[in-house]
Amino acid sequence: MTRYSQIAGEGRDASDLPVWRSADTLDLAYVGYGLLIVALVLVSYVLGVFNWLPHDPEQIRFDLLNAPPGSAGHLLGTDFLGRDILSRLIVAIQAYFLPGLVAIVISLVVGTTLGALAGYRGGGVEVLVTYFNNLVDSFPRLVLILLVIAAFKADIYYIMIIVGVTGVPVVASLVTGKIAFLRQKHFIEAAHVLGLPSHVIVLKHILWHHCAPLLVIRATIGMGEAILIETSLSYLGFGVQEPMPSWGNMVQAGANYFFQGKFWPSTAPALAILLTILGFHLLGDGLNSILEDRGGK
Amino acid sequence: MVHPGRRSEVSTPHAEGRARSGTFGIAPSVFAAEAVKLSALRPVTLVLSRELALTALLLLGVSFVVFVILFLAPGDPFSVLLEGQTPSHEARAGVRDALGVPKTWYVQYVSWLGNLLRGNFGTSIRTGLPVFGEIVRVGLSTLYLTLGSMLVTLLIALPIALHSSMRGATPLNRPFTLLAYLVSALPVFWLGYVAIYLFSHKFGVFPLVSAASASADRAWLYSLLPICVLGIGNGTVSEVVRYMREELSRVMAEDYIRTARAKGASVWRHAFKEGLLIPMTEIIASKIPFILGGAVIVEQVFNWPGMGRMAWQAAQDRDFPAIMGIVMIAATLVRLGSLLQRVVYVTVNPRASKQRRGAGWAE
Repeated sequence: MTRYSQIAGEGRDASDLPVWRSADTLDLAYVGYGLLIVALVLVSYVLGVFNWLPHDPEQIRFDLLNAPPGSAGHLLGTDFLGRDILSRLIVAIQAYFLPGLVAIVISLVVGTTLGALAGYRGGGVEVLVTYFNNLVDSFPRLVLILLVIAAFKADIYYIMIIVGVTGVPVVASLVTGKIAFLRQKHFIEAAHVLGLPSHVIVLKHILWHHCAPLLVIRATIGMGEAILIETSLSYLGFGVQEPMPSWGNMVQAGANYFFQGKFWPSTAPALAILLTILGFHLLGDGLNSILEDRGGK
Repeated sequence: MVHPGRRSEVSTPHAEGRARSGTFGIAPSVFAAEAVKLSALRPVTLVLSRELALTALLLLGVSFVVFVILFLAPGDPFSVLLEGQTPSHEARAGVRDALGVPKTWYVQYVSWLGNLLRGNFGTSIRTGLPVFGEIVRVGLSTLYLTLGSMLVTLLIALPIALHSSMRGATPLNRPFTLLAYLVSALPVFWLGYVAIYLFSHKFGVFPLVSAASASADRAWLYSLLPICVLGIGNGTVSEVVRYMREELSRVMAEDYIRTARAKGASVWRHAFKEGLLIPMTEIIASKIPFILGGAVIVEQVFNWPGMGRMAWQAAQDRDFPAIMGIVMIAATLVRLGSLLQRVVYVTVNPRASKQRRGAGWAE
């Protein structure tokens, strides 16, 4: 039973055109915005590492408290201690950048391994991996992190290991599904007939040629999730501590002034969170519909 | 090494799973009355008891994970008893023996698990009260908050999904989708501040009291604000929209819907189960962990006396028994949610009993 969308799709096979020519304009706009955000985050991270900042992020100025954006010398204004918000926003990227990468690497490596094992071996291995996925999915991420904080300490790398492990099931089931789909294809059968060893088939023919876009997409979405967790935790007071800035604790610190009508010190980091997470999500989803859904559905 | 002959028996839940099956060009409809003899179906009760056993098995795993984390945690209560001394290994062992602590970890685990099953979650280090009773007390208000916010999420997401899958491409489609994305990326704590400022300070609609201290007859009114904030800001709106839209459009393109339309029958009556009820329970069940996580933050912002606030307090005080109990209860809620989803799925669609259990909706 072929569906009508499939018949319609067969007429104009998109595979001859470059991907970006056949893609939807909106998806391209999503990806463009996402790439812009990624570039901004990268540049800001480098600026923060080398300390090339407009102002010292911890310099307190009592003559310039809660200055609005656009004040002389302070492009994004100052917070309740007169510290430059732009500099603090830039420095705060260090709070999540490397830990977020650690979390992504953990979920991609472990998830791909488990997913490939389950999809390729099937049988008992698959039952075990499915059990593991369901087990990890049973824990609300934030609550599990609070347990680890109580048991060990509020170290950002412990937290990101948990974020990485809780990100494993999504990757694993995506890879399993992809392999289950691919193994019915003729080229995999041909590779078997040619007598190629399993690890070559899995690593090269399946993972490298067909799962790479999937994993890149997952990585961008995972980065968005890691940022959300980090900002939530530092908002709750378990992440980066004052006077070190992090977007979450900046929102929290500005809260008292928020109710006095001084919205900006709390809103600026909130907007940074909003725009960044939006960027990573749109990048992931845009890439997904450009690279993965092409012609398939 | 896999030989070609085995291929037929390797079927992952995803390959034949109901949600994704359309991708593979095989007959995607779960409801089409073909190929399966109804007499071959196992009774629904049998399938459900299997689900129940799986849930129990998963909860056992959950308890084991929690135990391992607590077991590996540095420091134990005995260090407190021996404080001020530099206890030798023998002295510690002596105290443990005197208190009747099992020596091996698996005996410890079994006795701990036995206590859990009897509802004995230990006493909170901070309050000195039994943890279980306290969790039940605060858990109800968290349940109220999360269920209410799920309803709000659905109220926002469903019209968008329905609009774009029923009407096809309309000018409203893209703004709505973008709006759903924006809403999902909002940091929920800041959204909470904005809501409090607007509705309590500016317009004075809601007084600035938490639900606990409000008088009982108006309490439900004051709780609307946190429920709406969590419902909007729990970060699941765009995924609910996307999933519902995909499933609805898939079902609307099915042959049986076309047939229903052709013979003038109600399209809705035919599309409701597969197109709306099943995807809705699926996505909600898979988002329970997120919503519980969001509740931690919203309860903090609104001073809501729930499980999330208790978890936060417990993490602050390193109150092991309390946080352990909360994790167990939260995981139980998640598993109960997905059990409920399976019950709906199997009762609505008896053919499901023929299928292997899927890994759940991923992403």
